[in-house]
Amino acid sequence: MSKFKYLIDGIVKNNPTFVLVLGMCPTLATTTSAVNGMGMGLATMAVLICSNMVISLLAPVIPNKVRIPCYIVVIAAFVTVVQFVMQAFTPGLYETLGIFIPLIVVNCIVLGRAEAFANKHSVGESALDGLGIGIGFTLALTCIGLVREVLGNLSVFENKFSSSDGMLVFVLAPGAFLVLGYLMVLFNKLKDRKKKA
Amino acid sequence: MAIKSSLSNMVLVLTLVCLGASAAVAVVYAVTKDPIAAANVAKTNKAIEEVVPEFDNNPSEEVLNIVADLQNPSETNKVYVAKKGGEIVGYAVESTTKKGFGGPFSIMVGFTPDGKVYNTSVLSHAETPGLGAKITDKGSHFITQWKGKNLTDGSVNLAVKKDGGDIDAITASTISSRAFCDAMEIAANVFNNISTEKQ
Amino acid sequence: MNTLIVSPSPHVHGKESTRKIMGDVIIALLPAVLVSIWFFGLSAIHLVCVSVLACVVFEYLIQKFLLKGRSTVGDLSAVVTGVLLALNLPVCSPWWLIVIGALVAIGIAKMTFGGLGQNLFNPALVARVVLLVSFPVLMTGTAFHAPESGYLFGNADFATTALDATSGATPLGFVKEQLAKGVAMQEIMATPGLSYTQLLFANMGGSAGEFSAIALLLGFIYLLCRRVIKPWISLSILVTVFVFAGILYLGNPDKYMDPVFHLLNGGLLLGAFFMATDYVTSPMTVKGQVIFGIGIAVITVLIRTFGAYPEGVSFAILIMNATVPLLNKFQPKRFAEEAQKK
Repeated sequence: MSKFKYLIDGIVKNNPTFVLVLGMCPTLATTTSAVNGMGMGLATMAVLICSNMVISLLAPVIPNKVRIPCYIVVIAAFVTVVQFVMQAFTPGLYETLGIFIPLIVVNCIVLGRAEAFANKHSVGESALDGLGIGIGFTLALTCIGLVREVLGNLSVFENKFSSSDGMLVFVLAPGAFLVLGYLMVLFNKLKDRKKKA
Repeated sequence: MAIKSSLSNMVLVLTLVCLGASAAVAVVYAVTKDPIAAANVAKTNKAIEEVVPEFDNNPSEEVLNIVADLQNPSETNKVYVAKKGGEIVGYAVESTTKKGFGGPFSIMVGFTPDGKVYNTSVLSHAETPGLGAKITDKGSHFITQWKGKNLTDGSVNLAVKKDGGDIDAITASTISSRAFCDAMEIAANVFNNISTEKQ
Repeated sequence: MNTLIVSPSPHVHGKESTRKIMGDVIIALLPAVLVSIWFFGLSAIHLVCVSVLACVVFEYLIQKFLLKGRSTVGDLSAVVTGVLLALNLPVCSPWWLIVIGALVAIGIAKMTFGGLGQNLFNPALVARVVLLVSFPVLMTGTAFHAPESGYLFGNADFATTALDATSGATPLGFVKEQLAKGVAMQEIMATPGLSYTQLLFANMGGSAGEFSAIALLLGFIYLLCRRVIKPWISLSILVTVFVFAGILYLGNPDKYMDPVFHLLNGGLLLGAFFMATDYVTSPMTVKGQVIFGIGIAVITVLIRTFGAYPEGVSFAILIMNATVPLLNKFQPKRFAEEAQKK
């Protein structure tokens, strides 16, 4: 039960996008469509789980003063691995997300979880935390991407339901901010209501 | 819980972590190297298939590096030669313009040996979705208007109509359309230089 | 000790005074509305009615069901936003475009920030810019021209010459393109229908509120007489545009538009008289207002001359809106503050 809580926390209570408001750069830049958002979320999740596990393993032997450089090296290695794998097996997705993949290294969520969670918890717990936060991030990005896609391109998961053009502003950068803001309001409102009930 | 932050400890741990990480990356690189190369070749081949008539050789193996601008011979463009039964049926020219709205974009232009455009395909771009990104819309008038145009004998004025040329621009995306014309011009120059080089 | 503390805007207005001011603004906008109805008849009436109605309805619904507060429709501010929005759109806009514009203006730009007095940006302008970015085809170019039969008195000359030459035919866009081709300003002005008198009374291409400089000026004078607005913002915008554009024009008359053309064209007068002077989104002090106006003017001319869009007034006003809280800090020290220090 308690272990399971780490998973749920990452999705709702500590949702990285809507509650912690971390990792805004990929959130805003890659969510032009639901598929892109999901791809970015899954790639981040893969890095997050691996780096959380490795860092929780290494934490006892890493001297305090060099812990951040060590975490960054571990994270960077996993990001590069993910990049190679995507390039090899999902070239289409790599094409759209390409320039954002290296940015996972500096995504605050990954380093943030390493620093705030993984170095104090066991490997299993860290993996669950990475999975939970990763799912929360992926869901948030997919939602934002879906809303932007529906309004901006009149399509759902790249299937156009109308041949005319949508409101382009939602595919462009300002729309990302607008959608993120309103979804954040909605998410926190629903969360509060649940708490009261 | 962590061990003491003495100099030797820090150097040792950091070195080990770096070594471990590099080893992991090296292994994955070795494993994915071939699939990545294959994916890139597949992508190029798909673009070539789109822009030239049917062929039976492997154009990725018959690449010419041709200079577009004779004043600036250090920059070359890749030209893939498509053959059927030993006869050349078309040239696929890679061309990159720096004038795009969202940065440089690359297109593949297919010419038949008489200098007419067979088809075009966008390789990579960063144009605005919904506006400039319509250059990737294969059925659009903007893309189909190029088919059959002879760009090498000076019969076509390679500029959008707004600038006094012969090309219909994409509505509300004049800059992307201009850039596309620029890329076509580069491709046409490259094509001309293929013929001069052969003689 | 009793000290009167005056904080920067937003201030709470008494309901009656808001209503009176808004009423005056509506009266001031009437000449411009009437001119566009005179030219375009039914389509202009349709535009204004849909826009006002949509703004009021959205304001009422959001206030009642989302914010669950007392309805503020009575203060007429939604009506003003509606009229301004209508004046910022092409006359032949489809109804759904206007409704989306109203939703953006009231829902996103006004109510999200907490309603009248709290909004950082001018609602009608936010709506215009969102629509401009979203539907470039509908918001620029030929969309500005009503069908030939829609003209009540004819000026087909300019419409046809311009339409033949380019697909984006507001006078500003037209001139910008001609200049890019290397045609000098004097030659361009020889195009039939593109004279200064024409522009002063009724120019053919543009949003509903951009037709007649005279009508906008009438409204502005009315507002000044009623002491609803002070002239500093508008004056500093117009003077700066004239001076800045004049310097460019004198530098190279072949490459740049002349300053009178800048003043009479596009949304400059509408923006300077009615959009930039909005109470909520402009600075409180005279000094701040002058800086605000100069900023708008410089950005407008820069966008018009060097930018990708032919028109930049709405962008300029929105950008300067964002600086208002900062400009309000430039206030001279007040008596109360001096007293407090002692």
